[in-house]
Amino acid sequence: MTTTVEPMFREATEELISGSEAIAMACALADVDVITAFPIRPYDTVMQFVSRLKADGIFDCDFIVAESEHTQFEIVKHASSVGARTFSGSSGVGWFYAFEAITVTAGLRMPVVAMVGNRALDDPGAFGVEHNDALAVRDLGWMLYWVATAQEALDMALIAWRIAEDPKVLLPFALSCDGSFLTHSQAIVQVPAIEQVNRFLPPYDRGKLQLHPDNPITIAPQVNEDWLMEIRRQSDEAMRRSVGVIKKAYEEFKQEFGRGDPSPFIDEFMTEDAEIIVVGMGTLALPARVAIRRLREEGKKVGFLRVKFFRPFPTDEIREALSKCKAVCVIDRDYSYGSPSFGGVLFNELRAAMYNQQNRPWMLNFIAGLGGREIRVREINEIVDITQKAIDDDKVEQETTWIGVRE
Amino acid sequence: MTTVQELPQIRGVKNIPLIEGFTSGHRTCQGCESALVMRLMIKAAGPRTIVLGSTGCMYVANTTYYSTPWVVPWMHTQLGSSGSAATGTAAGLASMMRKGKMTKEPINVIAFCGDGGGADMGLSAISAALQHDEYNLLILMYDNESYANTDIQVSGSTPWGANTTFSPPGKLHRIMNQRWKKNTAPMLAVGHPNVRYVATADGSYGLDFTNKIRRALTIGGPTFIHSIDPCPKGWDFDPKYSHELGMLVVETGLWVQYEIIDGELTLNGPSRAIARGIRKRKPVREYLERQGRFAHMTDEDLKHFQDRVDESWEKWWMPGVIPITQNDE
Amino acid sequence: MSVVAVEVVYRGIFQRTLARNIVRSIVFAARKEGKIGTAFGRYGDSPERNGIPAKQFAIVADGAEELEESMAVYEAAQVDVTINVDDAMCKGVESWAWYGLQPINELTKPGGTLIVTSRQDNDSLIQDMHQRDTAYDLAVIPSIPSFSGLWVYKDDHTDVRILGTLAKVASHLVSIESMLEVIKEQWGSEEKQASAKKAYDRATVRPVEPGEGKSEERMTFTLPGWKDMEEGVVIRGIEEGGGFRGGDSGYQPVRSAVFKKFSTRSMRPVINFETCTKCTLCWLQCPDTCFDVTPDGLYDANMESCCGCGVCEAVCPVTDCVTMVSESHFNDNNSQWEAWQKDKDGYKKWMTVLVETQKKETRTHGFHHKGQYAEEIAAMGDV
Repeated sequence: MTTTVEPMFREATEELISGSEAIAMACALADVDVITAFPIRPYDTVMQFVSRLKADGIFDCDFIVAESEHTQFEIVKHASSVGARTFSGSSGVGWFYAFEAITVTAGLRMPVVAMVGNRALDDPGAFGVEHNDALAVRDLGWMLYWVATAQEALDMALIAWRIAEDPKVLLPFALSCDGSFLTHSQAIVQVPAIEQVNRFLPPYDRGKLQLHPDNPITIAPQVNEDWLMEIRRQSDEAMRRSVGVIKKAYEEFKQEFGRGDPSPFIDEFMTEDAEIIVVGMGTLALPARVAIRRLREEGKKVGFLRVKFFRPFPTDEIREALSKCKAVCVIDRDYSYGSPSFGGVLFNELRAAMYNQQNRPWMLNFIAGLGGREIRVREINEIVDITQKAIDDDKVEQETTWIGVRE
Repeated sequence: MTTVQELPQIRGVKNIPLIEGFTSGHRTCQGCESALVMRLMIKAAGPRTIVLGSTGCMYVANTTYYSTPWVVPWMHTQLGSSGSAATGTAAGLASMMRKGKMTKEPINVIAFCGDGGGADMGLSAISAALQHDEYNLLILMYDNESYANTDIQVSGSTPWGANTTFSPPGKLHRIMNQRWKKNTAPMLAVGHPNVRYVATADGSYGLDFTNKIRRALTIGGPTFIHSIDPCPKGWDFDPKYSHELGMLVVETGLWVQYEIIDGELTLNGPSRAIARGIRKRKPVREYLERQGRFAHMTDEDLKHFQDRVDESWEKWWMPGVIPITQNDE
Repeated sequence: MSVVAVEVVYRGIFQRTLARNIVRSIVFAARKEGKIGTAFGRYGDSPERNGIPAKQFAIVADGAEELEESMAVYEAAQVDVTINVDDAMCKGVESWAWYGLQPINELTKPGGTLIVTSRQDNDSLIQDMHQRDTAYDLAVIPSIPSFSGLWVYKDDHTDVRILGTLAKVASHLVSIESMLEVIKEQWGSEEKQASAKKAYDRATVRPVEPGEGKSEERMTFTLPGWKDMEEGVVIRGIEEGGGFRGGDSGYQPVRSAVFKKFSTRSMRPVINFETCTKCTLCWLQCPDTCFDVTPDGLYDANMESCCGCGVCEAVCPVTDCVTMVSESHFNDNNSQWEAWQKDKDGYKKWMTVLVETQKKETRTHGFHHKGQYAEEIAAMGDV
């Protein structure tokens, strides 16, 4: 593996690697300064590869194996405060063990980039993918992105530091990668040359917010009710500003590297004239595209929309894409017990985004693929049939349906 | 390992630096010994220092937004994160200096925590930090023997029988805190053989305190200092006695002053004199009866307390330090 | 009357139990008369710090709805009665969680009453208090400010003497009969009842006319908006200090521009520069970085920093070289060293008087040893 890595940074190469390995390579290309690890699958595959790259002298970073996820994330938070570029990650309950540190990282405006290898939450212990771990940070000021392929993992990691470290943003960035489907399966990935990366990704400069004896500041004193709303409003504004920064960074990435989608926020497949649009996140895109191609052959007007950025939530893009169709079926690889319609997180956010629209499509929710269970073409067909029925009956019998669960 | 600063030992109180890195703007209690500890710490360390402060009195009372007492760069860290904060800061600096992204210079990294943040919640992170020989850092645990900021709740470092809001003497249970004070410094020294410096300290002995800080910052690698801080609020005494109680706790043998340098233990100050029999330990009663938190104790309680202290001096393998006795059979 | 609000301004921790006893008893007494009420401490003052000014409130109403009306504002904009249990706070209070100096009579309604426990007379107290353009009444309870700690309460009857006085000066709030009944229920002590009744009988008020009091400009603070605050929860550190008064000898730290400790102390050190041996202990052991080092190597207590703990007095090896004197004897925060430099004899006279006065005052700030409060109360006799 390493022999293939060594020369690759001098010139662009093609590699057969997993999504985790792709992100590890991005760490090397971005010359990350401090990386912290703690074992939990499936994310830890990225750290296995990072440690290998360091061991072989392919890139120089302080690689710290922490004694817990909490320490893992506290360390990168503090390294970021003195101006170091940082990377960390976790999965499932490991991510939750670090939750205090994860919360303050956003509050302190530290542009830490983290990989979340999506994993079901304990108990019972399970390794398979569910999106609840990463979704838990959606209210905290983390930017949250769902990756679909190994190539996208590498590309978005490079883009993530560019956006997160932008002085107008300074917010942490989480790359969500479906356990197993992305973290453990290998694909052909175009690895760019270091010169290209250096042209695209400037060094991290914290400026007047850097903690250093030459800039003696006090960071995060205790506040009372006289101050906190103003500080929350500042973070809100940073998240609003990130939208423009994301667009610019994505365009420049496409120019430099010659790949990418029309929009950084959503990925549309055959939606132009679609009456039914299937919506989902992550690796679900693959079976979805196959299913839709077949349905199109049958003459059914179905399309697929993949939500890439969950935070900042692409409200405008979503409204424009979905208000054209008759019905939307949202596939949630997560759950939110007792939430509106007993539905999933993605569904309820999408429905909220559509509420004030003139043309509102029917919206149906499908809970599927929990704990790493596969979502196959068959399940997607079933989902589309139920949705078609809603259009035909001109009403929604049942807002949320669990797909592929044994009765 | 990056190089360290030139911080020679200070000979005599009159040579203690005038420079102040911790001034006004804080709202600590009258007679707050921990505030003194912060001030002495920075006097010893000097201006090229970064301080990380974990949640507790020295966070909440010291820095209330828009006012700060800190002249040196200071950052808050979470209650259990003093170890992680020191490691992360030192790692960030080391990495960038090594790669030429930041001017090379030795910068002191000090993370402080209270007894709740250190001896309880932060223990595992401190332990992890003390394994990183490649980073120069100091973790200072200021021990006011309770979660003082949150209204004085019992911690693992609270003395046996002390009155706290979680261990109030009641009609049925006079002694609610049955735990004996955690022996934190030796635990960390014994458990981390590579650590070159572990010490106990006491702000009432100002010169000794500043010199211990300097030793910790110049020896190289991760170091740990455990300081005992009389707390007028939580211990319930007239603030003017902070300094006196800081001496009494040593003179009664409840607190032992020492340094462990490269695995070698040296008792110092009154503790040394006590160990050598040059000086007699004062009865613990003289210390306990000066504090409202022990006012509910009976003679029997005081005797139990005295017995435990006597035992630590007479039976322990290392008097007052390591609660192990050797079996010669 | 429909709603009556009372605030108790007290020294954090030192007087927390005292304040609590007062506000709770007010509500209990009002219940006796079929009224309804609430008692609470200002959340912004917690966690309380020894000596830092704090507030508790008692609000009493005829009915639940009227109470709700007044509770809709957490901290009453106006109170019928202000009770100040440490006369040093007549100069104004700056509690630890907010900014600016609040005059002690700020919340007292026009025509309302300010009750102060003090050994000073009306007129000297009024000299400490800020002027206002409406009249109010002042009632002084002759007494040493009652201080004790978190765990052991000094039961010197200050609480019931205040309650007795309150029943007299605010009879519309609650009658002395109800108050005495509650005191009996709360403490079951005839002595405390007697003390309350005595205070009731002796209580007199002195009207304070508009314009009476000191004209001092109060310290205020304007909160910036989110666009003017630095991002990343960052504030600038304090600048490095330098020579004394900007000179090149001695040392003087730069101090916080937004938080001064003027109102956090009830005593301050008075220094005898002539007997000082320059041993450094007061300077070294001060938790508040309060001593400026003068060019001649003396130590000048800076009132921007001093919170009056008394450690400097305790560590000073020279008799009467550092003496903690009650704050009520001072009208400014000027440098003692400068005064001494200007007029050494004048300073000596001024200092000697203060030190002598202090010896007569038995003001203490908390727990010294087991049984001490009993001794002190016995020694007080009938104040």
